[in-house]
Amino acid sequence: MTDQGIEVAEPGAEVVSASEGSGAVVAHSDHAALSIEAEHHHPTPRQYVLIAVVLVVITGVEIATSYIDTGHTNLIILALFVMAAVKFFLVAAWYMHMRTDQAFFRRLFVVGMIGAGIVYGVVILVFSSTVLKS
Amino acid sequence: MAQAVVTSGESSPVVAHEDAHQTNTGVSNNKLAIWVFLASESLFFGAFIATYFLYRGRDIGFLKGPKPEDLLNIPFTSVTSFVLLMSSLTMVLALAAIQRGDHRRLRIWLLATAFFGMTFIAGQVYEFTEFYREGLHLGTNLFGTTFFVLTGLHGAHVTIGIVWLLSLWGRSMQGSLPQERHEAVEIAGLYWHFVDVVWIFIFTAIYLIPQH
Repeated sequence: MTDQGIEVAEPGAEVVSASEGSGAVVAHSDHAALSIEAEHHHPTPRQYVLIAVVLVVITGVEIATSYIDTGHTNLIILALFVMAAVKFFLVAAWYMHMRTDQAFFRRLFVVGMIGAGIVYGVVILVFSSTVLKS
Repeated sequence: MAQAVVTSGESSPVVAHEDAHQTNTGVSNNKLAIWVFLASESLFFGAFIATYFLYRGRDIGFLKGPKPEDLLNIPFTSVTSFVLLMSSLTMVLALAAIQRGDHRRLRIWLLATAFFGMTFIAGQVYEFTEFYREGLHLGTNLFGTTFFVLTGLHGAHVTIGIVWLLSLWGRSMQGSLPQERHEAVEIAGLYWHFVDVVWIFIFTAIYLIPQH
């Protein structure tokens, strides 16, 4: 039983709860149970603030890194993209609840992101080396 | 097959969590829709970011108008980026508020998020105006074209998000956003956070990566 007064099945388990009145209805499956479980594992406001602090610190490091003039431009670009990726992961995992939400949403989004990365990576490489070669 | 019977103590059964459980899959249709939409938006923004990188520095030898390094104001944009980052925090605090039934704080955090969004847009309008005064227009050079299109489209998404947030605030004020409808706030939040993560990459690509 959740704090909203809902009977929730454990994933994969058979749970039948009789009503005091009449007309009990089989309303949802173990997928539904998973979704309720997921919602109850959302981070606390304190955790949200902690993530924000981490994001601000990384942003500060990013900005500082962009001012470094070492002559190793590729290294700086790599560092900047790694930090951007870490920030993306933190926002997606904690603020968008991909860490705790149903795996189906995560898979849908991650497959789209990876697909987009591959497609546009190939496009940039091909165009850079052929069409736009000067 | 796993089953759960959901009933109330009254005579008629109640589906207490209607958003998530009235589908065959057990997956909320609304959340599924926003995730599919966000996946398509990834491709959308990916195309413009890729185009920016493709054309980046291509016309440097015959660049008309001002150069990017003379225009881009990293300290100023860092502040607006910080503001947008903080708006993601206030957005999740709004969600946490409605999930525990605290409607007063929900409205405060929704307004704070919209305010941060408007501050970001105000900064972008100021930046666009400055660039225009300096002589950079949409068709001046490849930088002008890719910069205005990419950041402009992102700004349009932020503006839509602000309208969405204000509509949620209005619904809450009218009492038509009860605790059990928290998924409406969560979905708006997913859109808002996505707009934020897109800016994380735009900020890196345009402003932070050295121009040469």
